[in-house]
Amino acid sequence: MNTLITCTVNGLVLSAIYILVALGFGLQLSIMGIFNFAHGAVYMIGAYVTYGLSVGLGLNQWVSLLLSVILVGASGLFLERFCFRPFKSIPTRMIVMAIALIIILETTVEVTLGGVTRAIPAFVPGILRAGFISVDAERILTFGIGAVLLMTLTYMIQMTKIGQQMLAVAQDAEGAALQGIDTHRIAATATVIACGTAALAGSLMATIFSMNPFMGDNILLKAIQVVILSGIGSIGGILAGGLIMGMLNAFLPVLTQASIGELITILIVILILLIRPKGLFGYELF
Amino acid sequence: MHIKSFLNQHKGITSIAILALLIGFLFALPRLGLRVYYMHILIGVFIWIIVASSLRVLDLSGQGSIGHAAFMAIGAYTSGILSKYLGWSPWITMLIGIGVTIIIAFLVAIPFTRVRGIYFTMVSLFFGIGVLAVNQVFSKYTGGYSGIGSIPLLFGYNKTPYYYFCLALMLVCLGLMYRLEHSRIGLTWKAVAQSHTVASSIGINEAWQRILCFGVACTFSGVAGVAYTHYYALLTQETFSFGTSINVFVYMTVGGAGLFAGPIVGTSALIIIPELFRHLKEYVPFIFAGILLLVLFLMPQGLAGLPNQIRRWYEQHSKKTKPAEPVDEVAKRAA
Repeated sequence: MNTLITCTVNGLVLSAIYILVALGFGLQLSIMGIFNFAHGAVYMIGAYVTYGLSVGLGLNQWVSLLLSVILVGASGLFLERFCFRPFKSIPTRMIVMAIALIIILETTVEVTLGGVTRAIPAFVPGILRAGFISVDAERILTFGIGAVLLMTLTYMIQMTKIGQQMLAVAQDAEGAALQGIDTHRIAATATVIACGTAALAGSLMATIFSMNPFMGDNILLKAIQVVILSGIGSIGGILAGGLIMGMLNAFLPVLTQASIGELITILIVILILLIRPKGLFGYELF
Repeated sequence: MHIKSFLNQHKGITSIAILALLIGFLFALPRLGLRVYYMHILIGVFIWIIVASSLRVLDLSGQGSIGHAAFMAIGAYTSGILSKYLGWSPWITMLIGIGVTIIIAFLVAIPFTRVRGIYFTMVSLFFGIGVLAVNQVFSKYTGGYSGIGSIPLLFGYNKTPYYYFCLALMLVCLGLMYRLEHSRIGLTWKAVAQSHTVASSIGINEAWQRILCFGVACTFSGVAGVAYTHYYALLTQETFSFGTSINVFVYMTVGGAGLFAGPIVGTSALIIIPELFRHLKEYVPFIFAGILLLVLFLMPQGLAGLPNQIRRWYEQHSKKTKPAEPVDEVAKRAA
């Protein structure tokens, strides 16, 4: 029983992180049509900026988290203009661009701070107890922040004007441009949102687990898995896919060995790609 | 002027002569007193050239893969495990390794024909990761993260025979790939890549051609894998990871996927140039990334397309700056 609850909580936390990262990845994929493999590196940079501001400069942790999200989000403007826009229509070049970005970001962090594993101190230390259940308060907080942010984003995309413009560009970029939507501005907005959420997810992950310059590689693969599982262009799908993926990753290592759990997850993803390439909830992009 | 016109008239002969000189130089290098360390680097370059070129063969039929190292891993692990634990001769296990790669490649290719374009790329990515996960599950035999070491070597500890062996292997593989690309099959693959509907409409069996292309490309990758095993004698999880597959993809794209010389130039440049800056230690990845950015922003055809690009730029530039000479003056000079 206790294991079940621990696993569920872990699964929810992992789901929140996966969804935050996958949402940014999926937004960039559906709006710009690019596979941004550098998204994991942005996630890593977000964690390191929070670490640098809070531990290095001694700022308040919440302030440094907010500043990190804003700074990394703003860097999305630069990324969109100079790194993604010129290579939007050429997938092979986009992959090379992403690799160059990953190498530059990871090496910069490794050279300046070293490759050692660090951790950001917990925002809310302590353990919550309810009867025989005890849960890390930090994990509840992570899940809470993730859930609130996701609701805000979903509201923004479904209800506001700019969100509707995003959906229009995702469905048909040319048609949207003909209706007077500035596609470049929408792409920039999407990149800023993606980078900001990635920075938040990275910072939260670094408080719960740990961080090193290569933490982005693993989460990137998870984000791609979530996007494939849920399909491109559906926000509700990403929520469901992230929950499935998070629960799989929380329960499988307990039920079987970690390596077999990993294999099962990958087999599921390959099967979905082969049988239903548009994912469980999405539509086919190409 | 005489030399230039001669070169223009006999383009084929000139390029063959340059190629022969280059190959002769590579064969003569150990005799010229090449240091053992550089020989080691060059052997690596030869092996990765085979892999990058085989990825280009796959790219001919429009199937961009970022999990190509997986097939290298299948050949390498088969040969390594058989020769280490059963004590068989490396020459036999290398053949078995290639055979196993061929079988798995063709079996895998059949379901993979269901997906095209970016979805194929994704399937190949997760196939590569899946092979690594299988490697973890059977870590009793494959060693898992720590890998298997002290695999029997082909020629002992002297590097010179390996140098000649890998150089010859690379030349044979490249020759086969060149013939294949310029044969009817290669043309068929290019047709499939351009438009599968048109290709099907003129009687090309698209699925079979894609399976064939996948099998052939992965076979070459397996050949490079078995050569790798019995030279380095150490296989770990990192050797054939996602990063390796991506690296091979980058070698091909940076060199120029549209040209036969592309993967060759790209692999050589991206392995040798960072090696020249070895004294910078942890800053070396910046050199690698710098080359990538340079190629991305300045060379749309890749490194191998640079001569063409310079020639075209020079022609346009000279035309713009120099006005055309009046006809009678040209006639006067000729007379």
